[in-house]
Amino acid sequence: MKTKYLLPVVCAAAALFAAGCGTTVNSVENAQKDGRRTMVSDQRVISDTGLNHRVGVVGVNTAMTAGGLLRVQVELLNETRSLHRFSYKFEWFDVNGMQVENILSASSTDQIEGRESKMITSIAPNPGCKDFRLKLISAD
Amino acid sequence: MKTKIIVPLVTAAAAALFTGCATDAHYVQTGDREQIVSLGQINIQDYANAANAAVKDLLASGALDRVANPPALVEVSKVINNTSQLVDQDLLTQKIGIALTQSGKAQIKLVDKLGKGYQQENEFLSDQKATRLPDFTLSGKIIETVDRAGNTRRTTYSFQMALNDPKAGVQVWMSEKEIGKQGTRSSVGF
Repeated sequence: MKTKYLLPVVCAAAALFAAGCGTTVNSVENAQKDGRRTMVSDQRVISDTGLNHRVGVVGVNTAMTAGGLLRVQVELLNETRSLHRFSYKFEWFDVNGMQVENILSASSTDQIEGRESKMITSIAPNPGCKDFRLKLISAD
Repeated sequence: MKTKIIVPLVTAAAAALFTGCATDAHYVQTGDREQIVSLGQINIQDYANAANAAVKDLLASGALDRVANPPALVEVSKVINNTSQLVDQDLLTQKIGIALTQSGKAQIKLVDKLGKGYQQENEFLSDQKATRLPDFTLSGKIIETVDRAGNTRRTTYSFQMALNDPKAGVQVWMSEKEIGKQGTRSSVGF
């Protein structure tokens, strides 16, 4: 008798769960790229493996502006099937390794859909800043 | 016997609950995990996000680099407030101004009355007009839009900024940052 009620309830719950978590992103892009990214080698410190799975760093590329400022673009990938909210901030360092703080180092919140690839960018506060660090933290 | 055990347990649980709920005043950082997401108003984090986006976009555009005598001289103009709340535009424009001057790409035109007085006195005494007209003016507009569905409310603030070239009479750079907040009540956290 119990199984009779339990089974449909479990099935319905599973269906709801799958429907709610199954919102993932499909995408299409040109196969022959004209733009070429200058990827940089990076060092990573992973203290939250769950976050790394939901908001993982795929790669980092940089470019210089005409005015001599370093631009950084980080590609993120959500390997799960559900939306995730996160907060991030870029820290910038001058040639002496001293941190330069201003509004460009402010925390920003963002979200990434399931299986979505997303870029986040920043720009150096002045031409003397050549090094950076990106910090990511879960907001869910 | 049961009551003898239950009463102290309930008392301890209640005490723990009250201790857990109370939050002693403490210093916080702008943008930290404890920030208050205020549904119906622009908070300090929103200004920071809007300024961050504007500065990032403006520096990347290279618009400030295209002046005859760098660094560019920028005069901060008016930010029109089209929201339902009182807005101090310095919360936005000062952050942008600070970042632009620190970048070395721009100088902000003097607005200090005392400083201007000394400048005029100096010009009078030296009999030379040293005042440089600004290369650009920085203006903007903040717009609020509200959508409702039942108890759920979504408020979107659009921060529109523009860099104007007064000599050419054109806007050389424009950007917009939208900040949306949705929920039934304000909360603490991202």
